[in-house]
Order: sequence, then C-alpha cells, then structure tokens
Amino acid sequence: MRRTIISALILLTTSGGGTPAAAQALQAPYPRVGPGGQPPPPPTIEMVQADMVANSGSDLVYFAGSSHGLDAAAQATLTAQARWLRANSAVRARIEGHADERNPRDYALAVGERRATAVRDFLVLQGVPAAQLTIISWGKERPAVEGSSEMALALNRRVKIELMR
Amino acid sequence: MQRRIFSWGMVLATLLLPSAAAAQEKAPTVIAVPQMATPENVATPAGDTGLIARYVADVISSDLRSSRELVVIGPANARVYGYPEATAPSFAQWRKTGAKTLVTGFVQARPDGRLTVACYLHDLAGGREIARKGFVVTPAEWRRAAHRCSDAVYARLAGRPGWFDTRIAYVAESGIKSARVKRIAMMDSDGISHRYVTAGDSTVLTPRLSPDGGHLAYVSFAGGQPHVRLAGLDGNQDRPLVPGNSMSFAPAFSADGKRILFSMATGGDTDIYATDADGGALQRLTATPGIDTAPSFSPDGSRIVFESDRSGTAQLYVMNADGSEPRRISFGGARYGSPAWSPDGEWIAFTRIAGDGLRIGVMSATGASERILTQGMQDEAPSWAASGRDLLFQRSEGGRTALNIVSIDGGPPRRIVTPQDGSDPDWSSPGS
Repeated sequence: MRRTIISALILLTTSGGGTPAAAQALQAPYPRVGPGGQPPPPPTIEMVQADMVANSGSDLVYFAGSSHGLDAAAQATLTAQARWLRANSAVRARIEGHADERNPRDYALAVGERRATAVRDFLVLQGVPAAQLTIISWGKERPAVEGSSEMALALNRRVKIELMR
Repeated sequence: MQRRIFSWGMVLATLLLPSAAAAQEKAPTVIAVPQMATPENVATPAGDTGLIARYVADVISSDLRSSRELVVIGPANARVYGYPEATAPSFAQWRKTGAKTLVTGFVQARPDGRLTVACYLHDLAGGREIARKGFVVTPAEWRRAAHRCSDAVYARLAGRPGWFDTRIAYVAESGIKSARVKRIAMMDSDGISHRYVTAGDSTVLTPRLSPDGGHLAYVSFAGGQPHVRLAGLDGNQDRPLVPGNSMSFAPAFSADGKRILFSMATGGDTDIYATDADGGALQRLTATPGIDTAPSFSPDGSRIVFESDRSGTAQLYVMNADGSEPRRISFGGARYGSPAWSPDGEWIAFTRIAGDGLRIGVMSATGASERILTQGMQDEAPSWAASGRDLLFQRSEGGRTALNIVSIDGGPPRRIVTPQDGSDPDWSSPGS
C-alpha cells in the first residue's frame, strides 16, 4: 500500500506541476480502504515535504548579507512553491527565517523575522491564502551548516518552508 | 610573578589612557589579608568557626587578587593573630610586611545559629581603621559574607563599586550547532555555586537578571515563537512578559527594576517597547521602518541606547526614555550591535562587525573615543561588571563558545571556566 503512495509521488514528480495528490491524500476520509482491505497509512509529512521539493525545486531560498531582498532565483523557487501550496491547500506551511552568525543575537532574530515576512508576503501575492502560512524566526540559533566560511555563512542566510499538518 | 603581571598591566593601561585613568591609578596598593580570628571555636553545619574564618580570608584574598589592581599578601604566609587583634591590630608589626593596608576580621557563632562575619580595613601608615563591615548570615552563606567584605575593601581602595558579591547568568550550550541544547545557568562571579535554571527542553537566549536579583527575563522558543518570559529565580511564576502570540526578544531591565525594555517584531518591522515588570503600561518607543532592537537603559533611566538599521546598516542610537530625540552615535565605518550602557553612565560597550570579524569595544555615551578591546573573529554580547571597568562577553573560536572578561583599560581577555560552552552572559548588579 505504501508502494501505491510512493508511486503516486513519483508520478507527481515526473508529471511536474502541482498535482494535488498529496492534499487529496491528506483530505481523504479516514480510514480509507485499500485493495487488500487494509487502510493505507497516510503520507508522512516528510513525504509531503519531498513532494513540494520535487515540484518546486527547493524548500529553501537564500539571502545576501543582512538583507531580505528576494533575488531572481528566490522568486522563481517561491513562485513554484506558491503553485504547489495553492494546489495543496490543506497543507499548512511554517516559514522559518534564519540569519548568519555575523549578526548579534537580537539583530539576527529580527533579520530572520524580516526574511520570513518577505517570503510570506511574496507567497500571498502569488495567491496563497495567508491563513495557510505562519512565520517564525530562528535568528542564528539553527545554522544549516557549521563553520564560519563564507560558504557556510551564505548557506545559513535562508528561509525554509516547513510543511505541517 | 603576580607583581610582574601587574606592572605589565599598568604599563599598558598608562599607554592606552594617558590622561584621566592614569592620573587616578596610583602605585599598586599592597594589602595584607591574614587568616581571620574567632572568639571561640564553635561547630556549625558549615564547619568550625575557626575553619570558616580561614576560608573567609582565603576568599577575600582571592577576590582582591582577581581584581589585578591590588597586590595581596596572605593569608598563607601571613602571621596569625588572635581575636582581640581583629579590631586593634599591631600596626608596627604589619608595616614590616611591606603592606600599606590590612584586612582583619572575625567569625563568631551567634546564639540563634547564625554567624557574625566582621571585617575591618586598616591604613597601616596612618595607623587607623578606614572601613568596616559586619554581616549576619547562616553558616551556609559565609562565602557571600566574604565577597561582601571584598566589595567593601575594593570600593574603599579603588573608589568604585566591587563586583565580588555578584552573580553571572548565561546560556550553557551543548550538542551540535544545528540542534543546539541551550539552558540558562547561573553562578557566583568567582564560578562557585553553578546551577541550571531551565531544563533544556526549549531553546533559551539572553538571560537578564533583575537589579534586585530576584527575577530573570529571558527569551524562550517554548511553543514555537521566540518570546520574552519573566521568571522568579526560585523557579516560580515563569510567564510570558506580554500577552499574545507576538515575537518578542532582547529584554533589558531599568536600573530600578521597574521597567523592562524589549523588541517586538511584526510584519518585517522590529520596534522597541517598554513595559512594567508585571506586563502593564505597555509603551511603544520606536516607530521607524526597519529593525530597532538590543535596547539598554542608561543607569539613571533617562535614556536608552539601541541598535537600528534605519540608516541602511546596523548602527547605535541614543534616545530619551520616552522614545524622543533619537540620535545616531556610531560612525566608525562598520556595523554595530548589542550596546550596553556602563553602570557609571560614561561608556557604551558594543559589538563591532566588520570584515575582520565581530569585536568588543567601548565608546563614550556621546559616541566619542571609540576603542576596540578584543581581537577575536567572533566576540560579542558585552555585559558590564558593577565596577564599570570590566566587560564579560562571549568568544567563539574553533566551534566552541566561551565566556571571557576583558578590562576596558586594556590587556588580554581572560577566559571564564564553565562546565559547558557559554554564551549571552549577564553580570548582576552588586549586592543583588
């Protein structure tokens, strides 16, 4: 049964575009009855997240310095994420803003909030209902990459879209 | 060796501060701290009074040495005196040690089970007592009485408050960076009585001790959104500072403990607010677009220094306590953050962010006389000692983060030993 859902996800991936399969799976009445007479397990949130990543390229966007400006690459990713979120309106998204360690702790929290807000505003402009989105700032508390190299700092200046049930 | 380190520090201080401070600093004072006396050796839960008298002198001598402003004789190699000499020392004999001043005292058991700890500071050349302090404490609190003796001696000799009877709150860190466990911890300023205040189930940041020492304001991610909480240090009454689900951070007490500053972020805009410690009388102090955060009250409560990027980059500003007349004070061609107003009102400590890293510095409250005090790549979060001469800060290097102390008169930072990595230090007010 698990295989059915995974193949559905693969199908999604290859067909491209925000097919609302994951959302349908989430919304389907439970217990559902599969071919073997057993209810299929609902897709895990990790599977749903993987589906969004597969369809929109990434669940991350990156920033320069202490700015919250969305460059062309970020806008392209977010446009695709917005399409997926519109198609999967039952999935709620938490927008997590992060700053790099070259900011004092308080300022980093504010920068993270400003980045998360910029991403939320962009998604809402792209038609995602605001009620589907929440934001949080992690400041510099959850670096994606350890170390202080320019590369590490760049990878930590990010917003991650974390899907929730 | 002690003397050599001291002279070197003095030379450096003289080089860095040719005018005011050097004129104030006289030749190093040699102070004798012999073992203290007891009128009668009485057993207490913390040991015999004679033993406690020895410990008290050990703590005082260790405190005064750590100031690096005094040369201390004893107690190990100093003459042991009897109880009558605690108040009437033989000045001629003590002068022979080369000391200029002398600390005597006694520990006496009281009928109610508590202890009297008394200490006296004598000027040997003049042959007179120049300060005295007495404390009635439970036997378990003898160490605190000793620190208060040190504070009295230091204040009399240096002309500024001591910081020996103070506590340090900080964030103890463990685990990998991407899933760091953070707990608020506290210890006495000499590292004794280390204890954890929060359990580590939620990420916590920036503990700030109330001036009376009874409460702790801090940031917690409990429930998801970072928000300022206020907790009694006895572990009771842990609650959000302000109601609602807003994201708040950067708490700071006023010197009288009645008002708390903090930042609140909504819609990409972070502003500074003030509230009473009970969460009432909420007042918004900034309203410019952009980030206004990291507020710190002047000691008289009339002004606030804070960090703002309203000019495009993060800089330091001073405004009145009601938010009026904000004025930029940092013009050093870098970014600036985490300002902290000194207890004497003269200085503002900060983190300077430039291509060569994050470093600790001080400038006058008007923005003049900027000096950088540390040379690390990631030094941040300065907090003042009560003396107004030392700064506690966090230094990160090689993947570790530790607390350090640096003097604003110059000299290399000294690392504070903590059981785990340490960050976000806050040094309590004296006697709290």
